[in-house]
Amino acid sequence: MTTKTSLLKVILLGDGGVGKSSIMNRYVTNKFDAHLFHTIGVEFLNKELEVDAHQVTLQIWDTAGQERFRSLRTPFYRGSDCCLLTFSVDDSQSFLNLGNWKKEFIYYADVKEPEKFPFVVLGNKVDVTERQVSTEEAQQWCQENGNFPYYETSAKDATNVAVAFDEAVRRVLALEERTDHLIPTDTVKLHRKPRSAISCCS
Amino acid sequence: MAADSVLKVLFELDGVFIHPSSEEGGSEQDSLISGCLRIVDKDADVLVEYRPLEDSDPSNMLCAGKDSSSVMEWDQCSGEKLLETQQSYETEWDMINAVSFKRRSVTNGEGSLNHSSERSRWAFSFSLSDLRCIRVKEQGWSFLLLQLSESCRSPPALHFHQGGSRDFLESLRRFAVISQAAGEEVCLMVSSPNRALSQSFENLLDENNFGLANQKFRNDPYVTTLGGFSKVTNYIFDAFRGAEEQQQRRPPEEVADLLGEVIPGLEINQQEEPGFEVITRMDLGVRPPVSRRDPVSSEEWSRHQDAEGRMINVPLLKQIIFKGGLCHAKRKEAWKFLLGFFPWESTVEERKVLHRAKTDEYFRMKLQWKSVSEQQEGRNSKLRDCRSLIEKDVNRTDRTNRFYEGLDNPGLVLLHDILMTYCMYDFDLGYVQGMSDLLSPVLYVMENEVDAFWCFVSFMDQMHQNFEEQMQGMKTQLIQLSTLLRLLDLSFWNYLEAQDSGYLYFCFRWLLIRFKRELSFQDVLRLWEVMWTGLPCQNFHLLLCCAILDSEKQKIMEENYGFNEILKHINELSMKLEIEEILQKAEGIGLQIKSCKDLPASISSILGWDPPAPPPAPPPALRTPQRGAACSSPLSRDSSAQNGCSPAFIS
Repeated sequence: MTTKTSLLKVILLGDGGVGKSSIMNRYVTNKFDAHLFHTIGVEFLNKELEVDAHQVTLQIWDTAGQERFRSLRTPFYRGSDCCLLTFSVDDSQSFLNLGNWKKEFIYYADVKEPEKFPFVVLGNKVDVTERQVSTEEAQQWCQENGNFPYYETSAKDATNVAVAFDEAVRRVLALEERTDHLIPTDTVKLHRKPRSAISCCS
Repeated sequence: MAADSVLKVLFELDGVFIHPSSEEGGSEQDSLISGCLRIVDKDADVLVEYRPLEDSDPSNMLCAGKDSSSVMEWDQCSGEKLLETQQSYETEWDMINAVSFKRRSVTNGEGSLNHSSERSRWAFSFSLSDLRCIRVKEQGWSFLLLQLSESCRSPPALHFHQGGSRDFLESLRRFAVISQAAGEEVCLMVSSPNRALSQSFENLLDENNFGLANQKFRNDPYVTTLGGFSKVTNYIFDAFRGAEEQQQRRPPEEVADLLGEVIPGLEINQQEEPGFEVITRMDLGVRPPVSRRDPVSSEEWSRHQDAEGRMINVPLLKQIIFKGGLCHAKRKEAWKFLLGFFPWESTVEERKVLHRAKTDEYFRMKLQWKSVSEQQEGRNSKLRDCRSLIEKDVNRTDRTNRFYEGLDNPGLVLLHDILMTYCMYDFDLGYVQGMSDLLSPVLYVMENEVDAFWCFVSFMDQMHQNFEEQMQGMKTQLIQLSTLLRLLDLSFWNYLEAQDSGYLYFCFRWLLIRFKRELSFQDVLRLWEVMWTGLPCQNFHLLLCCAILDSEKQKIMEENYGFNEILKHINELSMKLEIEEILQKAEGIGLQIKSCKDLPASISSILGWDPPAPPPAPPPALRTPQRGAACSSPLSRDSSAQNGCSPAFIS
């Protein structure tokens, strides 16, 4: 297992303008462009990394945040291994919307066990001096909504960006190791399912 | 009998067997039912019939058709016994064969089960329109499992001990579209094309689905039928190549026919029924060479203006703008005409009057949002959201352009104010991401708030549907593009289909903001003025998409790009495209299509050539963008004039 490279799909969600693309670009290319275009449609970047001796290819998906584009971004949620819920600490509305983003993700990603799904919450733009969301508020939300790890990031000065992605990967891998043991039983179940279904109806 | 008089046998094959033991595990373990399989045309409905040999009494026929007054009823039967017999086949049969057949009741009064009726119970008949899926299996001989629509019980497996399954499928092909299910060699999807089209588009655009639930695509038979139009022949050829070697003795011209149909260069032919399209062979012909010219100069422009300032010989003027664009100095003036802010036939005086009125109107609307107090805005979440998003997006629109670069650039303020005023102009739409991209080049050229606003309004009339809640414009365009691509390059279209990319999602950004992010700023100006001439046809931008895809298909197919890679590749074309080359190629493709004999109606209606009967659409060349009525924009006209696929969305 440790020598194999696994492909992990991570998706960045959050209101328009909270810095999703900037976080992705900071992490993958280590660059920051304050005047980057807002995302139209869907984009993704790959990044190779090693976490705890695991070779991992991270596929990071970045989406347009406006409500209007929901139907065009939600199909991409499927197959995600991790979801980074992002808000901007200088925009309280984007923080208030976190719950909606979480809901939208769980609904469209077709997550089997939402309570176990690895979400990571990012409060971006901590370099900005005028905060509208305090660290405590954010931490409290994370605790109450599933005990998600919370990172205060700045794509602009690179604060915590790599750390947050590393944590996301660790969460996914930990979860995978647990489910690895379950795979044999699952397989049997799947095979049996149609049969038992047949025998019980007539 | 009266029924016989309108019955036409289209195909007949004796020696087709049913294995009662594997169907029911009942009393007939040892006997096989041999019978005759026919495709018949009865009262304009195509039926598939099977009759056991020793039974010719039609009253014992089982009918699975929707409207049939069936004398017997198939019942879903299950049990261990069934499963045991199935296990002797391959496991993948399990799901399919879970449906078995059992006689429930006899309603025609002749209930005695003599030998003959015991056999006749295996007779069946169903309308081809109810046939959904055919599984082709091989076990020393070929056998087929026919799966009908949900409302009908599917008939038993047909075993072709004496061959002929291939002939049977080929005959079916004349009346339905048969395609191979994605990823399954043994499963054929059947669809009468009307349903195939509407269903697949429904799936394509279903909100939860739009795009790419890859797995769903795999599992959803209807979606794959979209690919069916083209895969029919490939499939028939491939699936049976090995299966029925003994049946290979076919007339050489028939084989050539099959092979020929595998080769690209197919036509989607419009039949009488709306939306019913069948592929036949045709040649698109050579793409004619196209030349471009220099941009229209100030002198040329002046030559098209009379003493009072009316534009004259407008069709020719549009033609030369289409062929070469405009020199930058003339853009500020010419765009107002191209976009329809100024009527071509207006005099300088008339334009002054118009301009004065429009200036007043603009500032009246601007004052509306300007005069909203902070408290008021606190109670108006829509306005608040618009303002917040506009502020964010203005700061991220073309900031490397000198007109918008740096802090506190006046260009940024204008961009902001015009977008806010547009919210007042069209409060229902408000601000949607992408609109700042459309405004930025217009403002750059106009260098004037009022002119830029009204030109933007005109441009938005064309683009309005792209940004509406349901994104109707985007949906329509993606379908139209798919229709065009299918005609132009079936093999590539098939490839995209196979990569779950047939709905062309990767063109989303191209279409939403008309290539704004794909080209350099100067090239965007050129492209847009060319497009605004309305030449050489309606929806020319879709041909631009085809032109770009034509240049990229080789790479995409050679590298065997999958869904993700295609999206990435197309996204990364941004700023690498050569505008003149694309324009040239797109125009060539347009000419190529136009010279097509028997051009499918679906294509001509997209491009606005010979629109089919009423309601007549105005010729695109003379179209002037109209303000304030999105329903009169070229886009909406397309969607209503479009072929059978549109109802799926409109509903």
